[in-house]
Amino acid sequence: MQKIGVIGTGSIADVHLEGWRRMPGVEIVGYYDLLPEAAARAAQRYGGRAFASLEALLAAVDVVDICTPASTHKELVLAAADASKAIICEKPLARHSADAREMVEACERAGVMLFPAQVVRFFPMYRRVKERIDAGAIGKPAVYRSARCGAFPRPGGKFSAVHYADFAQSGGVVLDVGVHDIDFARWCCGDIERVFARGLTFAGRPYQDHAQITLRFVTGAIGFIEVSWAHPRGVFRTRVEVAGDGGLIEWDSLDRPPLLVELYDEERGLQRIASSPTAPEDEPYYAELAHFIDVIEGRAQPIVTARDGLEAVRAALAAIESMRSGWPVALKEFGG
Amino acid sequence: MSEKTVCIGFLGVAHMHSVSYAANLLRMADVEIVGMWDRSPSLAVDWSQRLGIRRYEQAEQLLDAGPDAVVVCSENALHRPLVELAAGRVGAILCEKPIAVTLADAQAMIERCAAANTRLQIAFPVRFAPAVVELKRRLDAGELGQVFAVNCTNHGSMPGGWFIDPELAGGGAVIDHTVHVIDLLRWFWNAEVTEVYAEVSDSLLHPGLGIDDAGLLSFTLSNGVYGSLDTSWSRPPSYPIWGDVKIEVVGERGAIYLDALHQYVTVASNETGKTQWVSYGSDIDRGLMADFVAMVRSERAPSITGADGLAALAVALAAYESARRGEPVPLENVIPSLNR
Repeated sequence: MQKIGVIGTGSIADVHLEGWRRMPGVEIVGYYDLLPEAAARAAQRYGGRAFASLEALLAAVDVVDICTPASTHKELVLAAADASKAIICEKPLARHSADAREMVEACERAGVMLFPAQVVRFFPMYRRVKERIDAGAIGKPAVYRSARCGAFPRPGGKFSAVHYADFAQSGGVVLDVGVHDIDFARWCCGDIERVFARGLTFAGRPYQDHAQITLRFVTGAIGFIEVSWAHPRGVFRTRVEVAGDGGLIEWDSLDRPPLLVELYDEERGLQRIASSPTAPEDEPYYAELAHFIDVIEGRAQPIVTARDGLEAVRAALAAIESMRSGWPVALKEFGG
Repeated sequence: MSEKTVCIGFLGVAHMHSVSYAANLLRMADVEIVGMWDRSPSLAVDWSQRLGIRRYEQAEQLLDAGPDAVVVCSENALHRPLVELAAGRVGAILCEKPIAVTLADAQAMIERCAAANTRLQIAFPVRFAPAVVELKRRLDAGELGQVFAVNCTNHGSMPGGWFIDPELAGGGAVIDHTVHVIDLLRWFWNAEVTEVYAEVSDSLLHPGLGIDDAGLLSFTLSNGVYGSLDTSWSRPPSYPIWGDVKIEVVGERGAIYLDALHQYVTVASNETGKTQWVSYGSDIDRGLMADFVAMVRSERAPSITGADGLAALAVALAAYESARRGEPVPLENVIPSLNR
């Protein structure tokens, strides 16, 4: 039985907790949050108890699940590593490369698992893309494209919108969203050689952000990623395409869903509800957490490592630097 | 009421669009294709027999027949000599894209036509795709508010033939597929590309090809919009269609996704051994030909000028320059003090 402690009880913690709650072999022991009432609310909803301090939580658990904003990760990971707890840490791994590196090295020294929650690797369509590439279906990957476009985030209401709008804290759309696609691109095409980006991050639009990132991989492949917090509210558009020297794989969230509901009423007119449900065990956050448990219990090799989390942060920060300077950034010598 | 018959000749038919252009002209009332010429006798014989069009042994003989206009659909590098040959002998020329393989060639063609009082139009048929026309109307109406960015693709299949001969084509996927979309963006906003960064690779999708087959452009426009364009020949032979033209525009009030040619029926055939997307969309070449014939018949200027062709070519050449240098290239360095 793995005893789970959740640090930070905002909206992503809710998603994790829905998974932990129905997973066999784990027990939700409790929560720590800077806002005690938030931790208490989580305890009421998912069981376990609210801890008054980080130390108290660490003393009571085997595993910590860090669900706080990126800028707070380093301190929490270092404390958990010190206490020899296995760690799953939300993306981006850190706000700055140096912090991410320090976290990775501390966990390596302590012999502690630091698992970056790069959840896109667990989305079934992305997983299938990678599997088909590995099976040789498209030959050697040559041109990678993906997109992740939505509205400006405000999951917990105004407070979180203010957090995301604070570039110093969030790193904007390129760090917060870009690490998803950068990590997946690296999974498909390997290490990144250089990055070029254009975007809105420094355009003085506090509640709109958007970027286009151009990549060159070490293998010679090239790539393009669009990330957006400038699309209309309600839109969440994702897609991925990998062309190789022997074929092509593509998926687009605009593709027809397996279930489409059409309802009419005089007041609201036509309502269209698209749905693409999965079996509970294939739900990506559940699959990610279950894989993490399999890894720490020795049943699986991790499909993503702390180093991958660090490299995704580095490439995202290089894209931000490119937007700032107007020049391509070589990743090898980039400190971030 | 019958109008005066417009007589048109074809100078060079190596580009496969020539077949569709000719077929559309043949279907139009009061248009006559007086003849054709191509430097390759075998291609000329084949093409002329297929379409039932008179073949001339010499380009000059075709011009001596006195066409009102000619369509130049040769290999890219021959656009200049053929346009220069026809300038002054005909009232108008429709030249396939890209206008030429160098800016000097393009400039010379424009100047020669201007001096000879021959109107030069460049063939950018995608301007006539109905979904593109609607996108432009919505942009003109300001539906998106301030536009931030465009994410574009003009993917294709590797065409082979002279398209992969650097001497005749002037480049591979980047010169082939940059100009269509850049022309549309210039047309949408009456804006110029000001800077280009590009990742370009030879033989990346087709090992041993020996010319660029993959290109990703990142650019800014003079109206402040930034954008990207994927020019890659990345649709494999097993793919259900040859390629695409997609433009996604995001602005302060929303987004518009254009997939210009996405009007097709899905055909699964044991005959071909694969599933194909077969277009039912309006023929964009018909719009281009109708516009060109109307121009020939009138006194008006071409709707798509040589300067438009040159500006689009300049972006493709800047992309190659950027890829060589590994840095963004300002367009003013590529088109020094060009009088447009």
